[in-house]
This record gives sequence, C-alpha cells and structure tokens, in this order.
Amino acid sequence: MTTRRLTVFILLLLVPVTVLGETLCASDALDRNVCLPGPATRIVSLSPGATELLFSAGAGDLVVAVSAWSDYPPQAEQLPRVGDSSRLDLEAILALAPDLVVAWVDGNSRQQLDRLAQLGVTVFWLAPREFEHIPQAIEDLSVLTGTPATGVAQAELFRNDLIELEENYAEASLIRVFYQVWDQPLMTINRDELIGKAIELCGGVNVFGHLPRLVPRISTEAVLEAAPEVIVTSGRQESDRQWLEDWTAFASLPAVAAGNLYLEPPDLLARPTLRMLDGVKHLCQTLETARARL
Amino acid sequence: MPGSSFLRPLVGLVLMGMLAVLVAVSVGSSHVGFSKVLWVFAGGGSELDRTLILDLRLPRVLSAFVVGGLLAVAGALMQVLLRNPLADPYVLGLSGGAAVGALLAMLAGTAGFIVSGSAFAGAMLATLLVFGLAHGSGSWTPSRLLLTGVVVAAGWGALITLILSMTPAARLPGMLYWLMGDLSHSGQPWPGMLVLVLVCLLVLPLGRSLNVLARGSMQAAALGVSVRPLEWLIYLLASVLTATAVTMAGAVGFVGLVVPHMLRLVLGNDQRLILPACALAGGILLVLADTLARNVIAPEQLPVGVITALLGVPTFLYLLYRSR
Repeated sequence: MTTRRLTVFILLLLVPVTVLGETLCASDALDRNVCLPGPATRIVSLSPGATELLFSAGAGDLVVAVSAWSDYPPQAEQLPRVGDSSRLDLEAILALAPDLVVAWVDGNSRQQLDRLAQLGVTVFWLAPREFEHIPQAIEDLSVLTGTPATGVAQAELFRNDLIELEENYAEASLIRVFYQVWDQPLMTINRDELIGKAIELCGGVNVFGHLPRLVPRISTEAVLEAAPEVIVTSGRQESDRQWLEDWTAFASLPAVAAGNLYLEPPDLLARPTLRMLDGVKHLCQTLETARARL
Repeated sequence: MPGSSFLRPLVGLVLMGMLAVLVAVSVGSSHVGFSKVLWVFAGGGSELDRTLILDLRLPRVLSAFVVGGLLAVAGALMQVLLRNPLADPYVLGLSGGAAVGALLAMLAGTAGFIVSGSAFAGAMLATLLVFGLAHGSGSWTPSRLLLTGVVVAAGWGALITLILSMTPAARLPGMLYWLMGDLSHSGQPWPGMLVLVLVCLLVLPLGRSLNVLARGSMQAAALGVSVRPLEWLIYLLASVLTATAVTMAGAVGFVGLVVPHMLRLVLGNDQRLILPACALAGGILLVLADTLARNVIAPEQLPVGVITALLGVPTFLYLLYRSR
C-alpha cells in the first residue's frame, strides 16, 4: 500500500516538473489539451465549485472575478462577480483581461464560453463525475497556475483520506438509502451522481441508483414501494427539515419506523470540492447511526 | 322537454368518469392489482396497500378530476363570455397572476400552503386588475376585456421570465413543474370539488341566458337578458374556477381550451348540456392524462401538462376532421 502511494506521489511530482520550463499544459474535461505560455496570472472562475478548487490549488490570489454564489472560502466573497453561472456577463469577463477562465460543464453555457474562446481567452472545462476528478482538477489547475507543489499536496491528502474512508466502510453492512434532493417536485439521484457514489462508499444502497437519469423525478408511491431504511437530504437550509417531517405520515416506511430521517449539512455534499470529503465522512457517520437504530 | 335528451350523454360521462377513476386508482409505480384495490375499498388490505391507495392515489386522482372539471367549465364560460373560440381559462392573465404569486413564494423559500395561498391571491389580483382596467371610462365590450386581459397576461409573462432568470438553479425545477402543471402536490380534492359543484349549480339555471348570450350581446339584450350583470357574473365565476384549479395543480394547459370544443363537436352547442358535460369530460381527460404521467416512465414522473396536450391534440383534430 505505502509503496503504491509513494510511487503515485513521485509520479505526480514529475508531471508538473516536465512542463515548468516552457508552456504549461493540462487536459480538461472536454479532452482538450489546454496550454498557456506561462503560469496564469489573472483567472476568472465561473462556478462556486471551480472557485473553491482554485483556492485549494493555491491559486486563490490569482482569481480576479467569480460567478454568483461563490461563497467559499470567505475571501471569494470579496471578489467581483461576472454574473450567474448560466448567464454570464461576457463583457465584464473580457474587460478583466483574464489569461485563464475556469468553466463547469454542467452549469455554464457552452455557446457563451465558445464565444470567449473565439475572442482569444483560454478556457479550462471541469466536469467532476467521480471522486478522483476532484484531486485531478486541483492538480491540473495548479499546473496551469504555476503552483504544482500545493496542488499535488492537496490532491494527495484528498486521495489518502478517501482511501482511508473506503477501507473503513468496506465491510459495513448494507443499508437501503433514499436520498432526497428536492421536495416539490420530489427528486433523487442515481448511482452515477457523486452523492450516489458517496452513498455506496459508506455502505449504503441507493434505492433509486438504477434509474437512467442523473437526477430523476420520482413519485411518493415509488419511495413507499422501495421501502428505504434511511432517508437523507441535504436541504439548503434548516427549514428543509420539514421535508423529512412529511415522511412521518407514512408509518409503514422502515426509515420512519426506525426514526432514520437525517438532514445532512448543506453545501458539503453538493459541491465537488475538497470539502466534499467532510460531507462524505458526515454521511458515513449518519449511516452508521442509522444502522444502529435498525 | 330537453331533459331526457341531455340525460343520456351525461349518464354516459358519469359512467366513463367512474371507470377512469377506478383505472387510475389501480395503476401506479408499485403494482397493486385491481382485486387488491377492491379489497382495500372494502376495508381490507395491508397497511402499505391502504396507504398507497387511500392516502396517495385516491386524493390525487380525485384532484385530477376536479382540476380538469374546473378548467373545462371555466374554458366554456370564457368562450361564451368573449365570443371567441380561442379563449381559454388563462387568456385573461389569470394563470399569469397565479404563477407570479406562486413563484415569488417559492423564490422566498416557502412551500406547500403558502405557495398555493400566494397562487390564489395572485389569481384574484389578476382578476381584479383586468376587471378594473377593462371597466375604464368608456363603454365596456368583450373585445375590450379580451385586449386588456391579453396585454395584462403579457405583463405577467414578463414578470415570470424575470423571476425565473433571477432564481438560483436549484430552485428552478420546482418552478418549471409548477408552470407546466403538476398534480403531485395537489393536496385534498374536497375544497376544489365544493367550488366545482357550487359553481355548476349556480350556472345551470343560467343556461338559457348563456345560450342567447353566445349569439351576441345585442340579441341577448333584445331578448330581455340583462347582459352586463350576466357577463360580469360569468367572468367572476370563471375566475373563481380557474383560480381554484391553478391553486391545486399549477397551470395545467389545454384542458380548458379543447374540452369545450370537443363536446360542442359531439353534443352541439347548448350550454345547459355543455357545462355539466365539461365538468365530467374535463375531469376524465385529466384523470387519464395524470395516470399516464405517473406511469409512462415509472417510477419517474412526467408533468401532466405534457400528456394533456399529447392526448388532446389528436383527439381534437380527429373530431374536427370528422365534423361537417
């Protein structure tokens, strides 16, 4: 185990070293090789997640503007805004003369960003679909911003913690989980969603994991039929606890009978960043509590 | 005596309605068979089956029936009032006002009762606004009412777009489903049913006057109908019906426009028959549409508005093609 980790570590250290001399290149989520003539100095981040990843990569000082809702780390709140993720103010972005724009496949408009690219702005796309994509993104961003050491260190910490978590819960007994994304309409996630993967990591079985859509809309009836042993939601605020209260009307649900209705801290699981690991840890502990109550 | 000739289609529709409700209650994403449903109605069945059928499916199916009936009757009344075949319950901006109310409540992070309350308040505000503006200083005509309503509706539309564009992405699906019409959170059907029955009882004695009014206000006045009060009464009743429907299920489209036309093609244009027939046929269409919406890609759900149009368009075109 340790030798493998060490090898990975050394290999990762080598990657940035080879490119430091001339142009800096990294491959993005659209499988394009994005290259810069030197470390980026003026970065615009177009999603709250990308902002967090840039700060984790040690490039927080280089970020000159962010998209709306970028509220973490606290320094990000002071930065100028260039519009909401899906409706960007291209003029404002151009006026900042960024040498790197970090975009997010699921949130930003491809058309708007292609227009930016045509105007000569370098765009790096992120699309975290798996846990490994998070440290990968931090490493890539740290390469492009000339802070590879920070990036690799952060990524390595994340990977080690993840492995530890996986080992801790590998033997956990299976428990049937319903994860509620939203109330009206009632929505959940399938197994391809990062939260779905977090549930599996913690030894949970997502009762709607098999559905084809990433964020399926389902009926109350389907939840009763699926008979989850625990219901988890990470609402945006404390008042969303009401979502859980509503289930207590159905006493026949195993989750209700066992009192297994949990509100996870918001934001931690929702954003694919380093903090997600804290969210996963919290979720795993919640499922442990739930197992004890069955 | 027209009573007997009215009776047959109405009895037919009542039977179809009961059948539709029974079918709708029997199918869902979990497989509770038809015999089990009857068993549950007889007082038996497991706890889960009873919850599924009595607490989830039955209220929803009845709500669908009530909403369909409310919208179809409101549509029929609007078409008489405005003497315009394109009129539907939403043409005067009522759904727009309700939508602005509901979306603002959702934007503020509320749910459930507050959202439906705001929708109802918005609908009533829209009604009063159009009423006040169309009154104006000059004389009142249906075309003036229609124009006022259409322009106010456009204003609501702009507000809806504004709200949607200022909403964080996570809250958008709830809003879009509301705008498309969705019965999953319609709550108890009883208040809506009460409104539907009361309005129908109120309107039926007016059937003869409505028949005359449909031919034009001059003729109606010549035949001794007091046109102005009658028109305002129709407008008020149609508004209450629509506001109730929108409060229960959001802006379900199409039912209010097409059901009255379908029935006219089949049953002729006598309001004494058309209005109760609308209440039943609108209910049947929405019950069937909602059953499909719940089951086509179960356990995933579709908004019912999609299905009403997909079912209604070919049916209507077929009837239109067949008619002389």
